[in-house]
Amino acid sequence: MDFKESGFMYAVALVAVAFVLAQSIFFIVKSWKHAKEIGIEKSKLKNTVMSSILFSIAPAISILATVIVLAGALGIVLPWTRLTVIGNLAYETTAAQSAVEAMGGSLSVEITDEQQFTTVAWAMTIGSIAPLILLPFVCKKLQKKIGSAVNKSENAKKLGDIISAAAFIGIISAFIARAIAGTTEDGTGNAGFMSIAVLIVSIVAMLILETLCKKFKLSKLEPFAMPLSMFIGMGSAILFESFLPDYIVNFVWR
Amino acid sequence: MKDYFDRVHRWGVLWDIGALLMLLGIPTSICLYLGVWPELEVLGSVLVRLMVLYWITAVIEVFTYVPMLGAGGTYLSFVTGNITNLKLPAGLAAMENAGVRANTEEGEVISTIAIGVSSITTTVIIAVGVLAFSPLLPYITDEESVFQPAFQWVLPALFGALGASYFAKHWKLVFAPVIVGVIVLIFSPTMGVGTLMFITIIASCGAALLMYKMKLI
Repeated sequence: MDFKESGFMYAVALVAVAFVLAQSIFFIVKSWKHAKEIGIEKSKLKNTVMSSILFSIAPAISILATVIVLAGALGIVLPWTRLTVIGNLAYETTAAQSAVEAMGGSLSVEITDEQQFTTVAWAMTIGSIAPLILLPFVCKKLQKKIGSAVNKSENAKKLGDIISAAAFIGIISAFIARAIAGTTEDGTGNAGFMSIAVLIVSIVAMLILETLCKKFKLSKLEPFAMPLSMFIGMGSAILFESFLPDYIVNFVWR
Repeated sequence: MKDYFDRVHRWGVLWDIGALLMLLGIPTSICLYLGVWPELEVLGSVLVRLMVLYWITAVIEVFTYVPMLGAGGTYLSFVTGNITNLKLPAGLAAMENAGVRANTEEGEVISTIAIGVSSITTTVIIAVGVLAFSPLLPYITDEESVFQPAFQWVLPALFGALGASYFAKHWKLVFAPVIVGVIVLIFSPTMGVGTLMFITIIASCGAALLMYKMKLI
């Protein structure tokens, strides 16, 4: 039997899965209890859960796709484990690739040497644990500083609101800027017609849905407007690719 | 009663240390099971390169995400990973929907619940996908699949939807970070989004502060 997909490897993966589930459930339960204590309505919490589920489905399938891509060389279990804990699409692929290449191999070929496999496993792990070492030292301090700065006075509160809106916009702007002028190392996500078109479709879809919700008082639909707009954006990508000529779809300027 | 945030930090640190031990336990147990260990020279040379890049990014990411995700959300996100493409948008969208702000108790619980639910959803989808659908999956995400473009462009779709109402509400704040982001990408087109985000957040907050001082907002 292939050592990469042995019962032992599956057991390791299941431990990682169980850990992540346990931690998530722990924090959800604690937050839920505290939400009740501070008087947040149950309907708000339920909406949060539903929209978060919908919001996560499509990105989760993209992650699953990375697991499958890496599975060619590494078997399915190691990429599964790595992308369940800390894992990050871009990082895991790069880490695995650097490690395999350093040993003169390639990710497009299956790894059959046990020592090479363990080298990849260590490279993927050590490269990604830095935030976990850092967090216990900085998270609390950083947050206290921000909290006390923002909640000082009414004036500071207003400025706090503006700064937190600005920070939010700053985050999204990074992705907008990438759609306008970014490239990816493998060249599959370069800025061009598709990146801009999908971005605009999902922005417009969201604005329309939001207006409809307000106009017709569809408060039940409101939490789903965002995930729905994302699906509309993704759907538009399929339509563009199917019905527009190649020279438009493949048009990139980066 | 101890401050809620203090308690969250205590739980967070304990889970963080647990995660660290478990993570290091994975390759250790694989090595013990197989009875082989990596060639230290090869591993060292790979790690030097990877760590320069990823450990610096990690520092930037911690400082970028902590203020946005709240305490519980941060501890959860950094253990479960996929922050930019999943946990961050899930947390931000939930706080936006619920009309609460990060770094308040309301924001803290809403963001933590959203990120926890997102982690569970992702973990379950990946686990079910791996165990049950891995033979089918290539038909959905393969280059030739009709669904492939939807997944290739999932990020612009996600952030377009997330940003739309904020952009409409605070349109004056949008120009500075987008322009700065584009200029940075012109010179460094493949810059990781975690680092780029750090720059656009500073640009955005700096410009907002300036506009506030000049009474433009």
